[in-house]
Parts: sequence; C-alpha cells; structure tokens
Amino acid sequence: MSSSLMVMVILFGGVAAGLVGSLTGLGGGLIIVPLLTLGFHLPIPEAVGISLFGVIATSTGAAPRFVGTGLSNVRAALFLQIAASSGALVGALVAHHLPARLLFAMFGIVLGYSAFMSFMPKHSDVAGAPESSPLARRLRLASRYQQDGHWRRYQVVGVMPGFGIMIGAGFLSALLGIGSGAFKVLAMDRIMKLPFRVSTATSNFMIGITAATSAGFYLSHGDIPPVIGGAIILGVIVGAYAGGHLVRALPVATLRKLFAVVLLLVALQMLLKGLVNL
Amino acid sequence: MNEIVRERRLLNIWILRVSITLCALLIAVGLAMFFVHGNTSMPATPSGSLREMIHTSIQGSIGFHASAFLDAAIIVLLLTPMARLLAGIYVSARVRDWLYVGIGVVVLALVVIGVVAGQSGV
Repeated sequence: MSSSLMVMVILFGGVAAGLVGSLTGLGGGLIIVPLLTLGFHLPIPEAVGISLFGVIATSTGAAPRFVGTGLSNVRAALFLQIAASSGALVGALVAHHLPARLLFAMFGIVLGYSAFMSFMPKHSDVAGAPESSPLARRLRLASRYQQDGHWRRYQVVGVMPGFGIMIGAGFLSALLGIGSGAFKVLAMDRIMKLPFRVSTATSNFMIGITAATSAGFYLSHGDIPPVIGGAIILGVIVGAYAGGHLVRALPVATLRKLFAVVLLLVALQMLLKGLVNL
Repeated sequence: MNEIVRERRLLNIWILRVSITLCALLIAVGLAMFFVHGNTSMPATPSGSLREMIHTSIQGSIGFHASAFLDAAIIVLLLTPMARLLAGIYVSARVRDWLYVGIGVVVLALVVIGVVAGQSGV
C-alpha cells in the first residue's frame, strides 16, 4: 500500500473511531489502538501515543456541551486530577519498559470489560450522600446542579477511595491510550456519590488533562509520527462532530449493543495477540 | 460571583473553539501538502523539548513542509487542556481561592513534568 493511500485509510479509520466513540460513549481510544496495531501493525507505544491525542481531541470537541451548564464540579476535578495525572505520569514511564505482549493482553481485558458494561443498565441520576465527609467539607466539594429547572444540592463522600481509583484510571489511560472515562465516572458516581450527570461532565474535563500529561511524554519521547497522528486527530474531530449530530437520528441503544459485540471480538483478538502473539 | 462564573464559561468556550478549529485547519493544510507533494515516505517523527519542536515547526512552515503544520497542530492540541487549566487557576486567583490555585499549579506542574520526562528518554 502506498503511504498516501495508507494515510487516507487511517483518516477514515479516525472518522469511524470518532463516530463510534461519540455515538456509543465508549471513547475513541478503545478503537484507535486496535485499529493502528492490528490494522496497520504500528508499534504499540506509537499507537497508544497517537490514541492519547485522539482522546484529547474527543474531550476538547465534546467539552462545549458541558461548559457553562454548571454540571462540572471544577473543585472535585482539580483535586482528583492530582491523582489522575500522577497515575498517568507513572503509566507513561512504565509503558516504555513493559513487553508489548503484556500491553496487548491488558488492553484486551480493559476493552472486553468496557464492551461488556455496555450491556448493563444505566444509572439513575439521583444524588446519594445525605452529608459530606470531613475531608470533602474541608475541600468544599459539595455543590449543586440544575435539573428540570430546579437547583439540586449534593454532598460528597469517599474522597480518598475516589482519589485512589483516579490514580489507577490515570495509570491505565497512559499505559493503554484510553480516556478511562468509565473508571473516572465509577469513582465519582459510585464511590464519591456525585450525581451521574455531574460525574460525566467532570470526567470530560479531567480526561483531557489526564491524556495531556502522558501525551506530552509520548510526544517528546518521539512516539508520534506526524502524518499518522494528524490523520487520526482530524478523523476523530470530524467523526465526533458528525456523531454529535447523528445521535438524535439513530437508534443509539441498538447501535451501542451492536458495536459492543464487535468490540468484544476485537478485545479477544488483542488478548490472543498478547497471550499467544497471534 | 456570577460575573466570575460567566468569565470562566466564556474563557473556556473561547479556548475550546479556537484550539479545535486551529488544530483541524493546520492538519488539513499539512495533509493536503502531504498528498499534493505525492510523498512516498513519511516525514520524520518529532522529539525533544516543546520549545525545539515549536521552533522547528515555525521554520518548516516557512518552507511549506507538511510535517511542520502537522507538528504545530499536535502541539496546539497538547496545549489546549493546559490552557483550560491555566484559565481555572486564573479564575481561582480572581476570587482569592488560594487552595485551588495551589492545586491547579500542582496539576500543571505534573503535565509539564510529563513533557520533560519524555524528552529525557526515561
């Protein structure tokens, strides 16, 4: 394949990743890394580095949807970001010393888990804790958000367990080139008892900064080929934009399940590549 | 306080729109040059400090090299979350919320350490 044709195919692959990521909420990174490694045989550090830039592009493109809605808890995001960025820094350092087969196997497991979770029912948007924990009070993390025209207050608990999960989310993000949004939302929604919509908006703000921490490492380390990286980023921007407009017109719930089946098969292939080097 | 919230919202939306548009434009120009020149091989992968990369990118763009525009787009994208973080620190400083100014500075330092650690080839 000529390099021009290869770049065109990668560009369309990026569009598909942005489209599927935006329609299903699974995130572009879970699609970009298998595309570049299994499809184009790129070394996994390059695929992960490029994918992290795709994650920043997706997060930046989706952010205006959340800015100014009052949903994002900026204080919680900044405090938890210390954990996520620390994890991302360690993840980027470790990724360059781990065997590629281990990274493939880990990616297969995380992708399989994310695809499997697509079949689980969605959370209800109800604030949980009746009273904030002492640390949450000291950090002034309790806030309010608007729902159906009414302001609803919520309290925050489980700050340190949430902080711990964020270290893991940042680590996985840097190691595998994913946004780790599902893990971030899990920490805020389930552990810290933030309302689900607040967790999603706060997670979007955090994903970009977490990805930037490790993307900077991969870039200055020389892992981002500009043409392939550029093609993926532009593709993701176009795909995510189109997905944002198509989301109301398409049967998203059915599509989500359909893509989840495809991703389960990709996860199996990544896992096999890691275990038996297929 | 409402004035500060409005300021934060406008600043964030401005950063997001400018960066995503600039990034997409730079990549479109870079890829168009790559296709027009009929390249048979991929340009070199950049590495090193951000300052060196920005300098090389500016020099390359004067010579209309595809990779210079693509490198610039990648750097713009990397700087976007950092700019949002800086905007958050600025707004926290405006309301004299020094705890969150400090937390924001720590996070920004971690992002900068990522770039520096990568260039040292750890």
